[in-house]
Order: sequence, then C-alpha cells, then structure tokens
Amino acid sequence: MRATAPKPPQRPAMQEPDEFDKLYRDHVDLIYRYAHRLCGETESAKDLVQETFLNAYQGLKDFRGEAKVSTWLYTIASRACIRMRRKRKGQPEHELSIEEFVPTSEGEFRLQIPMDGLSPEEALQNKELRQALDQAIEKLPQKYRMALVLRDMEGLSAKEVGAIMGLNERAVKSRLHRARLFVRRELSARGITHHGDHKSGGLRS
Amino acid sequence: MTKKKTALPKKRSGPSSPRHTHGQGHCVDLLRQLSAYIDDELPSDICREIRRHLGTCPNCEIFIASLQHTVTLCQHHPVPPLNSADRANMRRAILDGANAR
Ligand SMILES: [Zn+2]
Repeated sequence: MRATAPKPPQRPAMQEPDEFDKLYRDHVDLIYRYAHRLCGETESAKDLVQETFLNAYQGLKDFRGEAKVSTWLYTIASRACIRMRRKRKGQPEHELSIEEFVPTSEGEFRLQIPMDGLSPEEALQNKELRQALDQAIEKLPQKYRMALVLRDMEGLSAKEVGAIMGLNERAVKSRLHRARLFVRRELSARGITHHGDHKSGGLRS
Repeated sequence: MTKKKTALPKKRSGPSSPRHTHGQGHCVDLLRQLSAYIDDELPSDICREIRRHLGTCPNCEIFIASLQHTVTLCQHHPVPPLNSADRANMRRAILDGANAR
C-alpha cells in the first residue's frame, strides 16, 4: 500500500540533517508512544522508533507534504511494525468474528470491569487491571490491535486510521469494534477486583 | 442471555414497552452496533431504539457499560515516557544507520 493522500502545496527541498532533527525532536515522543503500544514493551518499541525514523530520514526528500507529518510517520511506523513482526514470527493472523463475542450465558453477558465511581486514571492505578489491559492488547491479532491503538489510544479519526492502514472507514470501524469486544472480554473475564491488592478471586458472582 | 425469563417480568419492563422483544436476536443485533452507538455514529431513531432496549434489558445495559469502560480505559492507556538518554541514543543510531545505508 502506498501513501494516498491528497496533494497539498509543495514543500521546499529539505535540509538534512537540520530538518531531520526538527522532525525527530517534534515527533519522537509521539512515535515512541505509538510504538510502545503496538509492541507492548520498551526494547521493541525503541527498535521500531529507530526503524521508523531511519525510513523517514530516507524518505524525507520525497515527502511533499501530501499528508500531515504525524500521519506520514504513523504510516511508516505501522508498515515497519508489520515487516518486523513478520520477520520475527511467521504465524498467520487469525480473524475475529462478531459471533465469537456473543455471550452465551447470562453470566457472560454480565461480566464487568471494575470502574464504578473511579476516573479512568484512578482505575488504571490498579496494577492488575493495567496488566490485564496490556495483555489483552498484546493478545489481539495485529491488524485489530493497530486499529484499536490508532483510534482509541492515539485518538485519531477513523478516516485518518484508514489512510494509515490503507483501509476504508467501514473496514476500520469493523476492525475497531471487534478489537474492543475482544479487549472487553479479556478484561471482564479476569474478574478483577476493585483493589488489585486483594488476591481473592474477584467479583464474578 | 439464556432463554429463561427473569423472575420479575411485568415490573421490569415498565409502562411503555409491552412489545419489547427479549429474544436473543435483538440483543445480538444490538451488539453489532455498540461501537457505532458509543462513537455516536448512528442516526437518532436507531439510537432511540437502542436506548429503549437498554432500558428494558439489563444484560445489554451491563454489556454496553463494560464496552464503554473498555474504550475509556484504552483512551487513558498509560505509556512510560521516553527518557532523554534514550532519545539522544536513538537519534545517534538513526543518523549512523542513515549514513551506513
Ligand atoms: Zn438485550
């Protein structure tokens, strides 16, 4: 998939490495955060950041401002991530179907996530919940994880996510919905208690 | 969501919903649309219908709350910040790599 964004005004030819330094300074934290969410840990995230900016460095002179710089970098990072993962482990991605998320019992329907009365920040102080969230995201097949991370974590619009992943909005929303259902099931099925320090098994009544 | 009826049928369904369909089909249809509902992408008449269903179906009400919680948690997912040494080391490695290629 190639970048397919509309043409905005031509940018002046770039002055490496000054221009690279500015690009790096302005966006490294953004891309690191994205990479960390995709990879789930620090070392792989750093590898991905380096690969992303190395590709960006080489593509900079051809970057004509056809997309927002951040969108361009997200796109490079996403493709690099897919390449790097493919190299590491060759197993095929499995598809998620809505049917597998249809609760089959009253109990399954009513699984809950312990957040009552808490702000999300407070809820995420619960280490058990935080780890469960990380693990759920890591367990997601990559193409669903990418949609979820870009949309719900990075806060991009479905349209931007589509531009980055080379999908139409409908496909983005479909992946996003499945990804959310997957994470919901993972989180709620753990029976996490309100306070992570109680190891008593949870609120699954 | 089993077929069994709850023990208190008449009271729960309230005054205005005798034609509420408790069937599995209705809940499953709703489940397909929940993300669009949460993201406020549905036409208002469908939203109204969903709200009506939620008001009479505790299962779906709890389900949607947990999905909404999931989205909220994702929106606040914490990432440890990058420290300045790593930031500088990576920059150097990138420039070295660019010169080497
Ligand atoms: Zn229902």
